Amino acid sequence: MNRTIHPRDPATVMKLDRMGSFHQSRLSFMRVLLRRLQDEAWHFDRPVFDIDARGVGRAVYSAHGPDRSYSLVAFANDLPPEKRSDRVIATEWDATFTLFDGVPTDEDLDRLERNVPRQEAGRVSDRELSLSRANRSVRLWDHVVERLAAGQQPDTEMVARVGYLMRTTAVYGSGKFGAADREKTADRPECRGPFQVEMLSVYLTRAFVLDLVEHMARLRAPDTAVTLDPALRRGFGIGNSTGLGMAPFLITHPVLINNWIAAREEALARVRSLPRATAAEAETFRRFAARARRHAQAWQSEHPVQIAKLRDLRADMDRLCEYLDNTDLAGDTPWNRLWIWAEGALTLEGQEQLVSLLMEPYGDLVDGLSMCMYADEMASFPIDGAMPVSALRAILEDIYGWALEIDWTRREAQARVWYTSEAKLEPRVGERFEEPIEPYEQPLCPGRDAARLHADLKQFPGATLAAFLLRHPQHRHIARRAQIAARFPYAEIRDNTIDAAMLPIDLLRAKLSFFGACHFDPRSDRWVRIKMYQNAPFPHELASGDADDWTYPHLPEAAE
Amino acid sequence: MSWSLNEIESLARKAARGSGLSWGLAEEAGRSTRWLCAMDLPGADCLAGLLQQNDGADYPGLCPEGSGVAWAAPDGILCPLITGAALCDRAAELAGGRRITLARTAYPLLLYPHVATAADRTGAALGLSWPGVLLTRKAGVSTISARDDTAAATAVDTVEISIAAEFPGVSVKRAFRGDISPQTAGILKEFAHRTYAPETEESRLGGAGAGLTDND
Repeated sequence: MNRTIHPRDPATVMKLDRMGSFHQSRLSFMRVLLRRLQDEAWHFDRPVFDIDARGVGRAVYSAHGPDRSYSLVAFANDLPPEKRSDRVIATEWDATFTLFDGVPTDEDLDRLERNVPRQEAGRVSDRELSLSRANRSVRLWDHVVERLAAGQQPDTEMVARVGYLMRTTAVYGSGKFGAADREKTADRPECRGPFQVEMLSVYLTRAFVLDLVEHMARLRAPDTAVTLDPALRRGFGIGNSTGLGMAPFLITHPVLINNWIAAREEALARVRSLPRATAAEAETFRRFAARARRHAQAWQSEHPVQIAKLRDLRADMDRLCEYLDNTDLAGDTPWNRLWIWAEGALTLEGQEQLVSLLMEPYGDLVDGLSMCMYADEMASFPIDGAMPVSALRAILEDIYGWALEIDWTRREAQARVWYTSEAKLEPRVGERFEEPIEPYEQPLCPGRDAARLHADLKQFPGATLAAFLLRHPQHRHIARRAQIAARFPYAEIRDNTIDAAMLPIDLLRAKLSFFGACHFDPRSDRWVRIKMYQNAPFPHELASGDADDWTYPHLPEAAE
Repeated sequence: MSWSLNEIESLARKAARGSGLSWGLAEEAGRSTRWLCAMDLPGADCLAGLLQQNDGADYPGLCPEGSGVAWAAPDGILCPLITGAALCDRAAELAGGRRITLARTAYPLLLYPHVATAADRTGAALGLSWPGVLLTRKAGVSTISARDDTAAATAVDTVEISIAAEFPGVSVKRAFRGDISPQTAGILKEFAHRTYAPETEESRLGGAGAGLTDND
């Protein structure tokens, strides 16, 4: 389309505090998946559901698309309470899962039963596309089973507050623990978009968990048990606990991250460029703004950082709704006028919520951009050694100018170290000047590395990068990044990822918002709980309902 | 055992880093090993042998000297990871017809992914050869003249990199899995282990961010 407004400057967008304020949108991977499942009329069945009164057994949920089928294989466990932990150090879970490529035979299921419940300690094959596990929210689980067994519905307020019966604690894809590499499925249209395999696995997991809770109630009291009321049932999402394991991903996949953010920024620029809004579009937007306001009001967290952000967001939503009450959206470039107002009037939380809201009335303009969100990371990997040293210096001064201004001799500027621990082989963040971890530092501090590269380039008498890197091999990593960042504007975070004040949860939120997660609830500065698919239609409801209108709470009927 | 290519790349990257190579070179070692294993070539075995051989050696002694057409290592034997990266950095020169001759080189098979990348980036047809072996890459197609021990040689006295005019042998079909022997995996895991920080009580409690209860 013809757009007159350019995408936002990466120096504005790629700041950690702003990325830590991103919200789900039409481009989020869960929504992309459900739109596809509906558009292509996927159908679903449950060929196996064999779970005993203790809650132990197996189930298979199959999704059948136009060309292929995929099956969630679930193993339910009777987990002693003392073993229930969401941390990666756990060794047993309430339920474990794999997404199988096709429909598994009994032999496949037997093989998987020997491995999937052991998670990292087991081994899957290239017939499997993901590996994951989930734990119950014990309070809500017991409450729901008890109520359903007694023929009653669970407490609505409690369902809304907790929001899920199980939370996943890791969803491994792409070749982890022996599973198929992404290359195996990347050419399939349904798998090409990022994390579609993982999102499908979680979507089917939600269906399994709700079936399981109803099943347990039925086994407990066959004569009195009822199933969940369908509307209340949709109020159950899947929870997720995410720790530092996910944070480095945003730094180690620069081209992919660029493509995610570039799609989002292109969507914003397209909507801002619209010369007019129809009355219907304006009305849709107003309704979504009111719904987002309710969403912000319902969002709970006990973490001081998030409490402050929620205060900002709620005030922003009030301000936005007030502005809309007093503004005619019929004039010239109404969305750009709104945006310019918001940049001055709203905090980062509100601005980034507005980015998502502006996409809502414009599926035709926006949804296709989801096709641009995957990446061929190999193509950008080789270093261009013919590049003159002066050209690389210019790139550094342009893209990493913020880092060249930092005094890296200050302890606060490099207080943190990203490293991998021997115990669980998971990423961690430690204190450089308090722990003996610096020798194990991972290359997750592009700003500092760019500053070091820049300093050495200034001293180098030779002409080409090839000659420089042969002499200074320690700079190959950041030289590659800088060349990538020169070609992909949103590839690099323009902030210090090892600063004393850096919050890993900002990285987590940026990534999880692209997944489509809601209700970010940090439990410390480095792990966060979220809800996925809350209020989404279930597989059996996809054909008849709206697959894409579930992320914000609906307004009371009178206001609709 | 059957490994995913991601697992191979990750293990090879960490192992190369654990052996003391820079992160950038280690990333390339990871990609290279993945690429070779995906062609059913013994990339992981060569990497394991190389890392053992060079364990403790200093970078300058393994690194090609000079920028002419004949490259040699000050300490007598070129490291194919360092040399391969340097060749790939000079992709445009190779594509322009420059022929480079390497003196004694360890595990020359590990040069192949770098030469192939140089060919893919420039569109040139490039060849890599040592006595008894010619490996080529043209338009995304790889050919290999021999799949025997000479291809997986631990060291050769001379290697040529130049524009390829002939493409003997069969083109190599890409696979999605790699097979690594337990012995090779064990060596690579040992090197990789050096990149992990020893566990301390402090890191266990603080590093991963435990805080509020995770169980309710």
